[in-house]
Amino acid sequence: MTHEPGEQVFHALADSTRRTLIGYLSQHETATATELAADLPVTRQAVAKHLHSLEEAGLVDRRRVGRETRYRLTPRPLTEAMVWMASVGGQWDERLERLRLVLEREGL
Amino acid sequence: MQVTVRREVVLPGDAEEVWEALTSAGRLAEWFACEVELDARPGGRGVFRWGDGSVRHARVEAVEPGRRFAFLWFETGEESAATRVELELEETEDGIRVAVTESAPAGVRASVAGEWSWGLTLLASLPRLHAHARMT
Repeated sequence: MTHEPGEQVFHALADSTRRTLIGYLSQHETATATELAADLPVTRQAVAKHLHSLEEAGLVDRRRVGRETRYRLTPRPLTEAMVWMASVGGQWDERLERLRLVLEREGL
Repeated sequence: MQVTVRREVVLPGDAEEVWEALTSAGRLAEWFACEVELDARPGGRGVFRWGDGSVRHARVEAVEPGRRFAFLWFETGEESAATRVELELEETEDGIRVAVTESAPAGVRASVAGEWSWGLTLLASLPRLHAHARMT
């Protein structure tokens, strides 16, 4: 399946865990997947998966340093509208999922 | 240019129950925010607070019980940058379909920003829901 470049960025930003990873990388020059997993409430395996999505979207790149693979943010133009839509849409997905769970629990 | 996000979900329960979940402060505190104050009448005010300290204020625009609820919301002191949320309910065979539309007015969010720093500032300023989010 091929994606438009913009669509990949959209997909990457729509997930709260990936936004958390981006936020962390914005405050650290570089990080390994192990460092990210240690500092965030995310498993090492999930970190690796999300870093892969971010890399495909062109938002991070990786470099081997000795035996480590270090990731860093790759600055690129994003439209304000794109960031807004991805973030707001992702938040509504999360809220509506919680609402569905609340109502389903009651229906039991 | 107006920027709009739309989401739909089909929920179990009857229309009255879903309406209550969308408009009563007590029910909203179960899924939407940690603390909620809301006067769900046209012109009524609301405040949403999250566990990380973020706060949003709301001003109710439209209330059609069982069908439509619309409000403007914004961060403290940022009413001029408010976005508009509209919730529409519809009964279907499978349950109650809720459509959410959030739109940002022209000029507020629609310009082009060239730098990451801008996007990160915006991400940081949005209500954070990490405590609730599924970390998968």
